[in-house]
Amino acid sequence: MASIRLERVTKRFGAVTALDDVSVEIHDGEFFAVLGPPGAGKTTLLRTIVGLETPDAGDVYLGGERITDVFPGDRNIAIMFQNLALYPDKTVFGNLAFPLRQAKAPKAEIRRRVEETARTLHIEPLLGRKPAKLSGGERQRVALGRALVREPRALLLDEPLSALDALLRLEMRAELKRLQRDLGRTLVYVTHDQVEAMSMPDRVAVLREGVVQQVDTPEAVYHRPANRFVATVIGSPPMNFLPATVEASNGRLRARHASFAVEAAAGAAPARPLADGAPCFVGVRPEDVRIAETGIPATVYATEPLGGETVVDLALGERVIKALAPPTLSLRPDAAVRIELDPARVHLFDGAGDIVLSAAGERGVFTVRPA
Amino acid sequence: MAAIRLEKLTKEFPGGVVAVSEVDLTMPDGEFIALLGPSGCGKTTTMNMIAGLERPTAGEIWFDERPMSRVPVGDRNVGFVFQNYAIFTHMTVRENLSFGLRVRRPRPERSQIDERVARVAEVVGVSGMLDRKAGRLSVNDMQKVALGRSMIVEPAIFLLDEPFSNLDAAFRAYMRAELKRIQHEIGQTMVYVTHDQVEAMAMADRIAVMNLGVLQQFGSPLDIYDRPANTFVAGFVGSTRINILPAERLPVRAPAGRDPGTLSLAIRPEYTRIVPPDSPEATIGAKVNLVEPLGAKDVVHMSWEGHDVRTVGTPGARPRIGELVGLAFDPSRILFFDEATGTAVN
Repeated sequence: MASIRLERVTKRFGAVTALDDVSVEIHDGEFFAVLGPPGAGKTTLLRTIVGLETPDAGDVYLGGERITDVFPGDRNIAIMFQNLALYPDKTVFGNLAFPLRQAKAPKAEIRRRVEETARTLHIEPLLGRKPAKLSGGERQRVALGRALVREPRALLLDEPLSALDALLRLEMRAELKRLQRDLGRTLVYVTHDQVEAMSMPDRVAVLREGVVQQVDTPEAVYHRPANRFVATVIGSPPMNFLPATVEASNGRLRARHASFAVEAAAGAAPARPLADGAPCFVGVRPEDVRIAETGIPATVYATEPLGGETVVDLALGERVIKALAPPTLSLRPDAAVRIELDPARVHLFDGAGDIVLSAAGERGVFTVRPA
Repeated sequence: MAAIRLEKLTKEFPGGVVAVSEVDLTMPDGEFIALLGPSGCGKTTTMNMIAGLERPTAGEIWFDERPMSRVPVGDRNVGFVFQNYAIFTHMTVRENLSFGLRVRRPRPERSQIDERVARVAEVVGVSGMLDRKAGRLSVNDMQKVALGRSMIVEPAIFLLDEPFSNLDAAFRAYMRAELKRIQHEIGQTMVYVTHDQVEAMAMADRIAVMNLGVLQQFGSPLDIYDRPANTFVAGFVGSTRINILPAERLPVRAPAGRDPGTLSLAIRPEYTRIVPPDSPEATIGAKVNLVEPLGAKDVVHMSWEGHDVRTVGTPGARPRIGELVGLAFDPSRILFFDEATGTAVN
C-alpha cells in the first residue's frame, strides 16, 4: 500500500496536451476517482502512474519515493483496463496464478495467494472454470483478482464497469466499494460516469482537457463546484444555469434576472470580485427548484415522469430549466406555475463560468426574490 | 399522421432465430411510443419492420386501415433518425434541411421551401446556424439537423432508433425535453427505440417493453413503473433496482387465495424507509452494507436473510456500515409476483 503523488505532470502527444501541469495527491488506502469526458486525459493519467507513459515534465511519486524513471514492471502497481483480456484457455485458477508464475513464486505460495484472492472476491466456486463459462460480472471479478493477486501497492482501474449492462453495473458498484474497504488498498478509478464518481470514491478529481478542475470529496464537488463545467458533469439531470447581470449596489452582491434577483448576505465572501453590470450565472440543481404556490412565474415546457420522481421542464425567460417534483404532481404543457429556488442551494458563477459563491446548504448566504 | 397496429408480428431470421415473436400492439395516432428493452430484445427489428427495412415472416403491420407489409420503404411515408447522424457534411444546415423538399417532384416553390426550413429550424433549435457547414457543427447540433431533415418532409410516422446514445449525458437530458416538446407541437406519431429506461419513461406517452422478442407490457410510464406485468419489467424499469423477496418470510398479508410460499414480494426502494429496528413500523430488520451518496439522494444497500435490499432517501442522517436498521415498506406499494413464472399477482 502506498500514496501516489503527481507533481506538475505534463504529457504531450504531438500538438495535443493530454495532461497539463497536473498536481494530485492520492492518499494511502484511498478510493480515488478521476472523472471527465472522453479525451480529458484520464487514461493518460493512469498510464503515467503505472509507467506506460513518461511525462514530458513533472514527477510521479509512490509512497514518497520518486518513480518517474522506474520501469513499469518494478513499480508494483496493477492496472486493469476496460477490455478484460482473460486467457480463454486457462481456468480461473490459471488466470489468477499467471502473474505469480511469471514472478516464479513457489507453488505452495501460488496456491495460497490464489485461494485467498478468490475468497475475497467470492469466486472460489469458479476456480476450475474457463472464462467462456462465466457471466460478465464473474469475468470482471476474475480480472480484478488477477490484478490483486500480486498484492500491488496500488490498483488502477480504467472504466472497469462500462462494458457491463445497467443492472450489473449497479451491483458491481456496491461490490467494488465493499472490496476496496475490505482490502484497504490505494485504488485509482477512472470513469466518465458521474454516478460512479459520486457513489464510490473517497475523493474525486474532475479533469477537462488535461487540466484538473477540482479535487475533493464527491459531496463537496456536488455542493461547492469550482466552475460550471464541474457543476454540469456531476449531478443528473445537470445543474440549471440562468444568465443574470451583476448589481453591486450598497456593497452587496446581487444578480438580477428578468424574473428574479439573488442577493448575497453582507458577510458573504465571494471567491472573486464581480463588476457592476457584468454578466453572471445563477446555478441551481433540479432538486432545489420547487413548484410552489408563490414565487417566480414560469411556464411548463414538458414533463418527464421517471416513476420515483418527475422532471418538470420549465420555461423561464429564454431558458428551459429542470425541476424535480414528486411523481404525484400532474402538470400540462404550457400551464403557468410558480417556482422557488432554495436559497441554501444557490450558486453564483461569473461570466466565464468560475464559481463566485455557493450557499452549500447554509441558510442566510443568499436571498432569492421574484422580480 | 397515422395509427400503427402490429398484428401477430413475427420475424424469424434464417437459422431459426426468432427476433420478434407474435407482437400485438396498437400505437394510437399522434402518440409518442417507446420500444424499450435490452440489446437483442427485438426492438430494432420491430422498428425496421414498421419502416419497411425488414419484411415480417408472419403477421401484419397496419397504418390506419392499410396493410403495409408489402409496401416498399419509399412508399410508406416514414421518417427516420438513427444513432449515426445522417447528414451531408459538405452542405450548409439550410441545404441539409431543405434537401428532402428539393428532391420532390414536382418541386415545391422556393418561398414554400424557405418557409418550411425556417419553421423546422426553429423547432429543432438550429435557426442561428442555417448558413454554417453541417460538418463544422458540434455532434449535438448535427443530430438536431438530422432530426430536422426527417421532420421537414412531414412523414406520417417518425421512427427514431437510439438517436442520442452517442451524445453526452447533459445534452441527452436537454434533448429529452426538447423532443417531447417537438412531438407535442407537431402531433405526429413517433416511435422511439431505446435501451435506456429513463429516456423511455421521460418522453413516451406509452412504452412497449420487450424481452427476447416477446412483448412484456404496453402501458403508460407510470403503469409500467407502478404496475409492472412481471418481474422482468419490474427489474428493467427504475434507476435503483426494485427489491424482490420471498413473500412467505415477510409479515405481509398475501393476496386472497394465494399461498405465500409461491409468491415473491416486490417493492421499489423509494417506497421503503429506514426506521429504528425496534419500531412497530419496521417490516424487516436489515444490516447496512453500503451507503452510496448520489448528491440529490442516498442509496442504502442492506442485507436481510441473505437477500440484498435497497432503499433510497434524501441525504440526511446516514446509517453506519454494519448497523442494524428497520426497514418500513409502504403497504400501498407492495407488489406480488408468482415465484415460478414471474407474472404479477393481484
